Amino acid sequence: MARLIRTEKEVEGKYTEQWIVVEEDSLDQWPEGPQTTVGRPAARVTGPARARGEAEYTADVQLPGMLHTAVLRSPHGHARVTRLELGPALEAPGVRGVLTPEECEHLTSEPGYPGEPVAAVAADTFAQAEAALARIDVDWEIVEPRLDPDDAVRREELIGEPQRYERGDADRGLAEADVVVEAEYRTQTVLHNALETHQSVCVWEGGRLTVYTSTQFIWGVRAEVAEHFGIPEDRVRVVCRYMGGGFGAKTTPGEYTYIAAQLARKTGRPVRCALTRREENLASGNRHATIQRLVAGAREDGTLTALGGEFTMAVGWDGFQSSTAGPMQMLYACDNVRTVEYGAKLNTGPNAAFRAPGFVEGTFGLECLLDELAAKLGLDPLELRRRNYADSDLVDDRPFSSKNLLECYRRAEPHWGRRDEVRARSEGPWRRGVGLASQIWYGAGGPPSYAWVRVGSDGRAHVITGGQDIGTGTTTALAQIAAEELGLPLDRVEISIGDSDRGPYASISAGSSTTPSLGPAVRAAAADVARQIVEVAAQRHDLEERVLSLRDGNVVSADGGSWGLEEITGLFDDAQIIGKGSRGPNPTGMRVLTFGVQVAEVAVDVETGEIRVERIAAIHDIGRVINPLGASSQVEGGIIQGLGHTLSEQRLLDPESGAVLTQTLDAYKLPTIADVPEIVTELLDIPDPHLTNLGAKGLGEPPIIPTAAAIANAIRDATGADVRSLPITREEMLRALEEARERERAVAGSAG
Amino acid sequence: MSASELSLVRPASLAEAVAQVENGARALAGGTDLVPLLRDGLVRADTLVDVRAALPRGIQGTRIGAGTTLADLERSEEVPRALREACRLAASPQLRNMGTIGGNLRQATRCWYWRLGFPCFLHGGDRCHARAGEHREHAIFGNERCASAHPSDPAAALLALCATVETDRRAIPIVELFRLPTDDERDVVALEPGELILSLDVPAPDASVYLKAMDRRRFAFALVGVAAARFGGEVRLGLAGVAPIPWLLAGPEGLDEATPLPGTAYKVQIARALLGRALDAVAPG
Repeated sequence: MARLIRTEKEVEGKYTEQWIVVEEDSLDQWPEGPQTTVGRPAARVTGPARARGEAEYTADVQLPGMLHTAVLRSPHGHARVTRLELGPALEAPGVRGVLTPEECEHLTSEPGYPGEPVAAVAADTFAQAEAALARIDVDWEIVEPRLDPDDAVRREELIGEPQRYERGDADRGLAEADVVVEAEYRTQTVLHNALETHQSVCVWEGGRLTVYTSTQFIWGVRAEVAEHFGIPEDRVRVVCRYMGGGFGAKTTPGEYTYIAAQLARKTGRPVRCALTRREENLASGNRHATIQRLVAGAREDGTLTALGGEFTMAVGWDGFQSSTAGPMQMLYACDNVRTVEYGAKLNTGPNAAFRAPGFVEGTFGLECLLDELAAKLGLDPLELRRRNYADSDLVDDRPFSSKNLLECYRRAEPHWGRRDEVRARSEGPWRRGVGLASQIWYGAGGPPSYAWVRVGSDGRAHVITGGQDIGTGTTTALAQIAAEELGLPLDRVEISIGDSDRGPYASISAGSSTTPSLGPAVRAAAADVARQIVEVAAQRHDLEERVLSLRDGNVVSADGGSWGLEEITGLFDDAQIIGKGSRGPNPTGMRVLTFGVQVAEVAVDVETGEIRVERIAAIHDIGRVINPLGASSQVEGGIIQGLGHTLSEQRLLDPESGAVLTQTLDAYKLPTIADVPEIVTELLDIPDPHLTNLGAKGLGEPPIIPTAAAIANAIRDATGADVRSLPITREEMLRALEEARERERAVAGSAG
Repeated sequence: MSASELSLVRPASLAEAVAQVENGARALAGGTDLVPLLRDGLVRADTLVDVRAALPRGIQGTRIGAGTTLADLERSEEVPRALREACRLAASPQLRNMGTIGGNLRQATRCWYWRLGFPCFLHGGDRCHARAGEHREHAIFGNERCASAHPSDPAAALLALCATVETDRRAIPIVELFRLPTDDERDVVALEPGELILSLDVPAPDASVYLKAMDRRRFAFALVGVAAARFGGEVRLGLAGVAPIPWLLAGPEGLDEATPLPGTAYKVQIARALLGRALDAVAPG
């Protein structure tokens, strides 16, 4: 029976109440630990297709008569288009259609950042479209760009209202402190640089629009595109079967989808609009830079008496303001906390969510500040964190559904205990040290999400859901869950995802929510099928249902009887057993979060400022682990992306024009495999007893969160230098070393 | 200009290749720099001459054919260590398999202003945008008019090694192959129009080394590259990434003459450290 439930939905800390319809979901969680398939390493089910180049990404979609789009983008930080003549472009070879700001609300004649789209041209080939762009007659009136975030805050040029938060009395807390530390931390703007750039192919057929797109949310694209064109959502089909990464920047249709759809309607042809790498690095989103002015007060024993922070985020021309203050509010049991967050409106590309937006930046500041506090208190940094352990959530005053951070700290001890040995390996100009940082983040997922499972007469199962695998291994995890519930080997489970016409609604792949949202629905659907198979088998063999179960591809009875699944389902000929399942509600009144700690070992060449990260141990509490192999890949990917954020990646702007100087991958320095340290992954694998029929939380984001702070703290341990600004380039490292030497000289001087 | 409007010729003989290039066509070897420059409209050409079949390739004693790839050089025991290391630390294996030593000497700066087509001094304009702008990767020497940094690692090694460049018409000491851009001549390579590098003569030193600082462990242009080569009692030093051209340093004290910009002062410190290490590495005994 369907149940109507009023429940809470939480996306990255924001709660909304909503009605949901769920199927009866009375499944008990599996016992802790590895099951037959779940909890055991499984190679990606999509791996061979990806490796052989057979997987069709949006970039591979070729439709008969398809046109290619080139987009005229503003070369200026801030400008007004005073003249725009598209006639010459329309006459260029191969051109089939153009689009102006008057025709499309996602084009503008007052571009507020370099790369903002102004007009578009569709032609038979991309080269023709590009050549036609050059023929567009356009005059720009240049406006001086605003690029300084502090300046924007002073002028009150903000995106949204300042976010203020206070609990207790931070001033009193500081007054009561024995020790106070204050510091300013800065993080840079970084660019997502997914392997597959943002792109869509759109085609209209009889009033229906099909959108092939690289997206983290096919249903979100469906809803927004339908609204844009004023047509029912069911007349829009969105397809994303394989995806080359999103990292948060692909949650909405994006101007490229609207441009392609509109040009497709205008020309009567399928139209592709794909960003080039340069466009990708101008106009597809970024992790905004932050300035964090932080303070912490503590008693001699390390008890935090106050935490305070003023956070300025360089949001850009538009975009969402991520919660940089979140870790300060949530991580520690501090009674007095005050934060304010300002989102600066600037003539730079809009911010977009980027793998744990806000928390990556905020954790860098907070966890470095904690280490500076530990140094001043003469306390072990790990011990300081233990002494301020939060047993319940102080932001919303709720119990945690599960929290095993203390166990993470316990498991971190052997890694943390290596520091004497690591330091002792310092030699010549190379100084070695160890640092750690904690992680807190969301990852509960939530309803609604649905899945169907069908089993045919061949005894194979097919899982169908309208989710998408953004490269995290979702498909494999979902197949494992179905295989477990059906007692089938993994190779007897197929899975189809990524098509809104060919599966039920499933949630966005963002906020570390895909597995905890879709997984329980898949298990419920598989359980629905399993129940029906047992019912059929019981009738066929005159047994009670309660003595039957599914195991190793067989229906097994308690008295020793065993029939191959296909023997039972083979009775049906062409008939199928169809199961459906939905995601149940999250535990009401509880805070569902993920936790962890990372321990980094670094070596610093104090003469040249070179930093080598030699080892990172990552210990995370994310509930039940479905696929340990996929999970360790996620941890490694997060840490490597965090490594780039910490050491080498930065979007650089020309201070005069606001032009992005790092548009290509020679200038914008992602880490390469040569930079990757030894990564030791330990996942607690303790199911959350309150969360769904799986007890599984998300893992996409947690691993990137503590990496920068752990590395910076290791650098301080190695060299005594405070690095408070990301990325820690050679010049920043050398500056910090010089500052530390001056401090030492000053101390020596005053002592003498 | 789109690639489809280019014509490509593939001469089989050197004489034919030289004739084509003298005729105003552009020589193409590995294409690792030229092709992107053509695509970005920073270099224009109607005709490309694929000189790979025609150019000398390989290592014979001190002579290196201009068509020898960086990958060939990094693996050859005959090649002085500084050049081997400079090749090994350049680019990525894929690029080194394509890129030739002759082409490497002609590669253009990575200055982002120049690469993005700003009307800067090097492009014939009247000012250097990097000097007042974002210049952390830029020059500490010879940077008054143009602060771009020369990207070639092997060129710095060849400077230290006293290499001679042989073209289709003359032999030039490598130090004379490059010149700082001036009001009259913005090209940093002192070759005549149509002149083609055919080979290099690289004397064998008693010891040599190349050390490189970059933003990541591999596959990045030099923030600072330092080559040192000792011939008997004399040590020669060549630097990469510190000036618009590969920079010959008379001695360690030459670093005192650096004219860093606010954002490049750190390079002097790195250069000093690497110089010390390079001198230690080539010291006798």
